[in-house]
Amino acid sequence: MSERKIDPKLLEILVCPLTKGPLRYDAEAQELISDQAGLAFPIRDGIPIMLLDEARQLDADSAGKGGPVS
Amino acid sequence: MSDSPNVFNRRVVRLHRDRAAAGLKNHDYLFAEVGERLADRLDDIKRRFPLALDLGCHGGELARLVAGRGGIETLVQCDLSPRMARRAGSHCLAADEEFLPFPAACFDLVLSSLSLHWVNDLPGALAQIRLTLKPDGLFLAAMLGGDTCKELRIALAAAEIAEEGGLSPRLSPFADAGDLGALLQRAGFALPVVDQEAIKVSYGDPWKLMADLRGMGESNAVAERRRGFTRRATLMAAASRYRELFGDAEGRVPATFQVIYMTAWAPDPSQPRPLEPGSAKTSLAEALGAAEIPSEEKTKPA
Repeated sequence: MSERKIDPKLLEILVCPLTKGPLRYDAEAQELISDQAGLAFPIRDGIPIMLLDEARQLDADSAGKGGPVS
Repeated sequence: MSDSPNVFNRRVVRLHRDRAAAGLKNHDYLFAEVGERLADRLDDIKRRFPLALDLGCHGGELARLVAGRGGIETLVQCDLSPRMARRAGSHCLAADEEFLPFPAACFDLVLSSLSLHWVNDLPGALAQIRLTLKPDGLFLAAMLGGDTCKELRIALAAAEIAEEGGLSPRLSPFADAGDLGALLQRAGFALPVVDQEAIKVSYGDPWKLMADLRGMGESNAVAERRRGFTRRATLMAAASRYRELFGDAEGRVPATFQVIYMTAWAPDPSQPRPLEPGSAKTSLAEALGAAEIPSEEKTKPA
C-alpha cells in the first residue's frame, strides 16, 4: 500500500460533517475524530473519507482522549 | 439514515461513481465541456478567489480547467465517491453534499459541475454551501435540468410499455431552472442568477450514449427504480425506437443535455441593494420641474 500523507490544508479546515464541530487528528490510527458526534472518520491513502456511513462509532470511554488538531 | 422519502439512493450514486472512476477519462466529454463553460464564467468575474472548493469533483476535470484562473490559489476537491476523489489530485477528500465537512465562512468560492442533480435535499445542500462561503463569496455551479436525455426517456418509456406492459422510473427527475432561483434565495444567497442552455451531443448510436452515461457514473440511482437487469428485448426496442424517432439520415442520434447554471453570492454589506423607502435626497417634482403638492392636499377631495 502506498503511503500518502494527509494534506495539511485539509487538516486545517475540515470539521465534523454532522455537528460542524472540531476534529482531532489521530495520526496513528489515521482517523479524524469528532468527539461531539462520537464518530471517527477514516483517512485512506491520505484521503479523508468524511462520509457518515463510513465513520466508526466511538465507544464512550475512548472518546475525549488526545489533543485537538494542529 | 432512512432513505424512504428520498428520490435518490445515495449509496447507489456513490457505487456508480466508484465503478466509473477508473475509466472516466474515456467518457468525460460532458464534464470537460461544461467545466470549460464554468471556467469561462469565472474569467468574466473580475475578482480573486484564493481558497475555492469544487463540490462533486468527479475525476478532477474542473480542477485542471480552472488551474491558474480566477485567482484560485488552493482548490479543495471533494466527491461522494472516494475513488473519484482519489483521482482528482491534490487537496481531495470524500464528502457528501448533504453533510459538508467545512466550517462557516471558509471559502471564497464554491464551484460545482454536474453533481448537484443527485442530491436529495437540495435546499439543505444550498444552505450549507452558503454558510461555508465567506461574506461576498461566490457560488458558481452547473447542474443537469429537466430536459436532459429527453430522447432516451421517451424511447425507453415507449419500449418498456410495448415490451413489458408497464413503466418504471429509468431516468432521474431533474430540477427546474425556475425553482432554483427561489431555492437560492431561500438558502440566503444574494443576487442569484439562473440561466440554462441545451448542449446537443451527436452519438453514433443509442448504445454509445448509454455506455457514456454509465461511464460517467450517471446510471439510474432513483430509489424507486426497478431492481435487476433490464430485459434485452426492452433495450433493443428502446434503441430502435430512439433511431426511429430522433435519428438522422446517417443513423446518428442526438442526445440533449440541459445544463442549468447558477451564480449567487453570500450576502455582504458592500453589495448593491435597494435603498430604504423614504431615503431619497431629491424630490421627484424637482427632477421633473413640476410644482410639489404637499401630501395633505392630495388627500383632499377635489
